[in-house]
Amino acid sequence: MSDRFVIETSDLRKQYDGVEALRGLTLQVPAGSIYGFLGRNGAGKTTTIKVLLGMAHPTSGTVRVFGTPAQPPAASVDVRRRIGFVSDDKDLFDYMTVEEMIRFTASFFPKWRADLEQRYRRSFELPADRKVKALSRGTRTKLALLLALCRGAELLILDEPTSGLDPAMTEEVLQALVAHVASEEMTVFFSSHQIGEVDQIADHVAIVDRGRAVVTGALDDLRESYRRIQFVFENDAPDTSFRTPGAGRMRRKGRVLTVLASGGADAIVDEARALNPISVDIVPVTLKEIFLETVVGED
Amino acid sequence: MLWYKSWLETRWRFAIGLAILILSAVGTVLAYPRVVQLLPLVPSVDVPGEVGRRILEMATLSRTYRGYVWAQWLRQNMTQMLALFAALLGTGGLLAQASGGGALFTLSLPVSRDRLLGVRVATGLAELLALAFLPSLVLPLLSPAVGETFSVVDVLVYGTCAFFAAAVLFSMASLLSTVFSDVWRPALIVCALAACVGIAEPFFGDYSRYGFFGLMDGEMYFRGAGLPWLGLLASAAASAAMLFAASRNLARQDF
Repeated sequence: MSDRFVIETSDLRKQYDGVEALRGLTLQVPAGSIYGFLGRNGAGKTTTIKVLLGMAHPTSGTVRVFGTPAQPPAASVDVRRRIGFVSDDKDLFDYMTVEEMIRFTASFFPKWRADLEQRYRRSFELPADRKVKALSRGTRTKLALLLALCRGAELLILDEPTSGLDPAMTEEVLQALVAHVASEEMTVFFSSHQIGEVDQIADHVAIVDRGRAVVTGALDDLRESYRRIQFVFENDAPDTSFRTPGAGRMRRKGRVLTVLASGGADAIVDEARALNPISVDIVPVTLKEIFLETVVGED
Repeated sequence: MLWYKSWLETRWRFAIGLAILILSAVGTVLAYPRVVQLLPLVPSVDVPGEVGRRILEMATLSRTYRGYVWAQWLRQNMTQMLALFAALLGTGGLLAQASGGGALFTLSLPVSRDRLLGVRVATGLAELLALAFLPSLVLPLLSPAVGETFSVVDVLVYGTCAFFAAAVLFSMASLLSTVFSDVWRPALIVCALAACVGIAEPFFGDYSRYGFFGLMDGEMYFRGAGLPWLGLLASAAASAAMLFAASRNLARQDF
């Protein structure tokens, strides 16, 4: 465990009524990163966020946020003072007006950024006197974002921040987020099942599936190390397996054998030479392909 | 600001309760002259059983204004309605918000669950205190309009009894609100339990004054036996125990 990481979980498990939502999740979120937490619906993203914020108690494993255990209630209160949060449902208090909601939230955060509040009030065009329940989904999201961004937080945790928004509104929200992070020193941990938006703004990523992190790392490193290797054989592709580390999921289709390599592509090619392929093609892969191969591929 | 949030969440229940109780108190006082007119007819009414005994007791008590107010307002109207609104004020909170929205936002604030519950309980008890005392203040204020008087000291004593007993129902509703995720089941369970106790107590005859509603309507004080200290202490202890259980239950919940 180190100060370089804002969030650290180790072998985190959470069971709800016999259902294992988290099955040994291990994560390290570097300080200052924009960390995309990618996974299908029900993969354990929201449960992880709830555990980080002390809303749910882990069955086993450790959770550290800002280097301190996040679970004891007193520590959790201190941790939440340094975190901005937007929930998947953007659940706010329907009976309050936008103004009341802002004043209410500001009262809990000594480092509340009044300057940012004014800026986002203007740019988001929030109607101060309107009740929250009367806001559109997009405006509600903007309000939730303002309430998270103005806390003066060191860590922003966003659970599906753009869910339910149209593409234009999604772009607007993402741009606001990126602009904010560019001007403030903070870490962003955001969950999503939208690969495109993770690809657009994240510099680190974890792909989670069935409660486990199946891929973690800097996005550039993943792009650098992951390769799709395509072997073409004279006859049907052999039913084989590779011993070389990094060889991942394989697909055989007629004369073609495709291997997803998380590293060591050259060594895999060397090993495959014994099978006498007539051609070898190594191509970079996108985050979407990594996701589809590591998550959907596990079905 | 948590106080403000709790107030916003419960204000309509409180306002409706206060309005109904005040109107009921006003009606009780203004009906007295008519009751006095009807009193001579009561001995001719021949209703057997507990109902008949109650009617005769009511008529007997109504021969004095103090007895009438106690029997009509403190023992019936206020007690029943305060029990209902105590149950309603005690319901809600984080678990109900979790199904209706807002719980995750609340839980993301740098506030402990104990404090969230504490502020909500304190707000509810303050509202309950107002419901227990304010409507009864109509009695000393309005009684001169029907040529009678009612002591403010009596209002304070009866209000204290009513508040402590109602706090038990409020605490029970608060505890059940950490078990059920809707607002209706806690309220219905508490009201059903209160109704069962209310129906059962009269069958204990004179001992009913030591029962829950006997405490709530201040019967011992009315009959000159002083304040029911034991009942008040027992109520306070029961309320504290249930609120503590609610706090522990909330602490172990996953949202």
